[in-house]
Amino acid sequence: MIIREIQIENYLCYYDTNSFELSEGLNIILGENGEGKTKFFEAVDWLFNGENRKLDMLVSAKKLNETEIGESFRVRVSMTVEQYGEKSIITKSFLAKKEKANECSTLSFMIEGISENSSGERTQVDGQRLLDRIFPFQIRKYSMFKGEAELNIFENDSALVNLINLFSKVKHYDKYSEKGVFLREKAEKAVDDSAKLDKKNEKRYKGLEIEILQLEREKEKYKIHLNTTEEEIRKIEENLQEAERHVTNADALETLNKRIKGIEEKISGLNAKIDENYTTSLFDENWILVNFVSFHKEFAKKVSEHSKTRRELQSEFDKQKGVKEGERKAKAELFNNAIPLPNNIPSKAIMEEMLNDEICKVCNREAKKGSEAYEFMSKRLKTYLESQVTEDNEPDKDEPLFKYDYTNRLYNISISHEDNLKNIKLIRTKIKERFEFNDARKKDIEEQNEKLNKEKTERERILGNSSIAEEKLINVLKNYNAWQRDLKNRNQDKMDYTSKLKNLESELKAKKEEKDKIDTSSANSFLINTRNILRDIETIFTDTKEKKFDEFIKKLQSKSNNFFKKINIDAFTGIIVFTRRNKANRTIVEVVLQEDGRTFYKPGQSLLTSMHISILFAISELASEIQEENFPMIFDAPTSSFGENKTAQFLNLIFDTDNQTILLIKDFLYTDKATKTLSIKKEFENVRRDKAFWIRLERPFNPNNLKTINTQVIEL
Amino acid sequence: MARKDDILKSFLNHGLLETKYELKRDELPTTVREALNSNIPIVKAIALIVEGLDGTSTVTDTVLRNQVTQFLNEAL
Repeated sequence: MIIREIQIENYLCYYDTNSFELSEGLNIILGENGEGKTKFFEAVDWLFNGENRKLDMLVSAKKLNETEIGESFRVRVSMTVEQYGEKSIITKSFLAKKEKANECSTLSFMIEGISENSSGERTQVDGQRLLDRIFPFQIRKYSMFKGEAELNIFENDSALVNLINLFSKVKHYDKYSEKGVFLREKAEKAVDDSAKLDKKNEKRYKGLEIEILQLEREKEKYKIHLNTTEEEIRKIEENLQEAERHVTNADALETLNKRIKGIEEKISGLNAKIDENYTTSLFDENWILVNFVSFHKEFAKKVSEHSKTRRELQSEFDKQKGVKEGERKAKAELFNNAIPLPNNIPSKAIMEEMLNDEICKVCNREAKKGSEAYEFMSKRLKTYLESQVTEDNEPDKDEPLFKYDYTNRLYNISISHEDNLKNIKLIRTKIKERFEFNDARKKDIEEQNEKLNKEKTERERILGNSSIAEEKLINVLKNYNAWQRDLKNRNQDKMDYTSKLKNLESELKAKKEEKDKIDTSSANSFLINTRNILRDIETIFTDTKEKKFDEFIKKLQSKSNNFFKKINIDAFTGIIVFTRRNKANRTIVEVVLQEDGRTFYKPGQSLLTSMHISILFAISELASEIQEENFPMIFDAPTSSFGENKTAQFLNLIFDTDNQTILLIKDFLYTDKATKTLSIKKEFENVRRDKAFWIRLERPFNPNNLKTINTQVIEL
Repeated sequence: MARKDDILKSFLNHGLLETKYELKRDELPTTVREALNSNIPIVKAIALIVEGLDGTSTVTDTVLRNQVTQFLNEAL
């Protein structure tokens, strides 16, 4: 199928009728951003898949502006196609009626089809049916790609299988493997039913059936475990590979972060040591004492003098006390140490009586007044009377001179004042020392800050080199180690499941053989033979289907790699590898890029795009070989990540394919900075193509006013 | 070559026919029509299935099963 012409009329920036007369092979449509490339793509997409909704959004603003209120005009996209020598025209259109300024209603939406046979005879047909017949929906789906992201249709694991089924003969073999299973199961049942008629083995037979069923279930369970584990292993490997790109940076980042933390802690410690409180002690009430030193001196002198006096008094007191003690001792010596009679003997009354009578009644002698004896008695009475008085007035032997030691307290206060004064005098020095200490710490902090800045710059450099954010980078190392452990565990699981499956299979085989033996002895032989042949037929059908699938994949892989190498000529590519796998009872095809047998999980966008395009071309080429029919491919900006050289190589490569390709690209255009004139670069002359167009907005235009927007189509 | 013949051929190319059934490749039919007349049960059975699924008039599962099992039960 070849698209001969595409016409776009009053569709958004395409004012009036614009024709693209396309050629077989490579058609290149050049256009700057915002000048109509994507609108061309969307117009064709609307023709293929568009609905009858929000049609007023598709109307050319310029045309609407020029139309009188109440008047209508047609909005139309049409395609002329050639297939098997027949021409078909498919047109999707509607009428836009201007209701008021900048507003329109839409009506008469239609999809028209015209078939023209080789003799030029034209027939009106249903447009949608005609479109689906000449360009089936499933193929259209894989024919149009907008941007690089859409190229990755293979992310969905069944997409490639669908595509292979669509474009290859593999799909014809699907029904055979289904029917193979169906016929074998029926034959098995016939044998089972026949064997059960033999009552001899009935019990064992039933037992075997149950055991086989259980083993089959167990086998399925482990298959699922194995599949899931393999899936996890792939995912972990992918993660590890992604992490490996960052792991060196992550490692360095972790070391740096530790160092930065250490420096920050040091700075914080130094800051804590700095006390900028220089003045509190100056404002302290003690400071004022500095101006009252003379008072203190006077006070200290007085206290000192007072203390001296006190000590003298105390000394005198002690002396007196000593004398009295001495007297007492001396008195005792006077009587030759004999113990004298107490003063009160004879008693006061007797003594007075004896003095009065002038007779010593102790020794019974006369004692006349003035005699020695009389004097003795009189002295004795006096001593007694005195002793009575003295004893009352004499202070207690242990009573101190000073009951309270205020002097000592005053003395201590004086010493304390002395110390305070000493400290107060030191305030000046202390403040000076504090300044010096703080200055030194500040200098240390400055040095540490310098170090910190260096480390932080280094960290920024690392983060700048890394394509992922800091938080993620920090996690990379943690994850990397965890994933490595996971990988080890999953690989162990895989080994366990594989070995378990192997055991289950051999157990199953043994049970089936035992059951077959009973079949042979119990069931009809023809039924057994039929079943055996149908078992083989099932094997043949399944194997052939897989073989065909693998053959197609192999071809696809080889063709894809050919395109891949050509697009990336002289550059690293790796190898595109297709793998067929079973996932939860369905076949999936995975496509990966490998480098030396190792999956290359995260290739660059340009490599990825070229890989996807290579696969698409390979599929298309294989489809052409098999179906003997070509379908066009339309790409809008598929190579944004390619440089101009790579784009040129890519275009030359497409030129060599047989397919009709319509490529919308913004390469090879040049805007003169001074004059703002847009032109096509000379390099485009070297690009091989079958047809080229340049779509550009009619100048002058106002980018803020849609009414001035009109895309012109220039055939180059 | 018609698609059904093509499919038949790819089935008859399976190694099992040579190893288990001792059939030589050059002795095997190349078309469904020929295979339907074969006196080798597995070859005819495969041909019956191919004709049933890709022949001029496709058949239902039951019909296909009856045709194949009946033939095999009688032939073996």
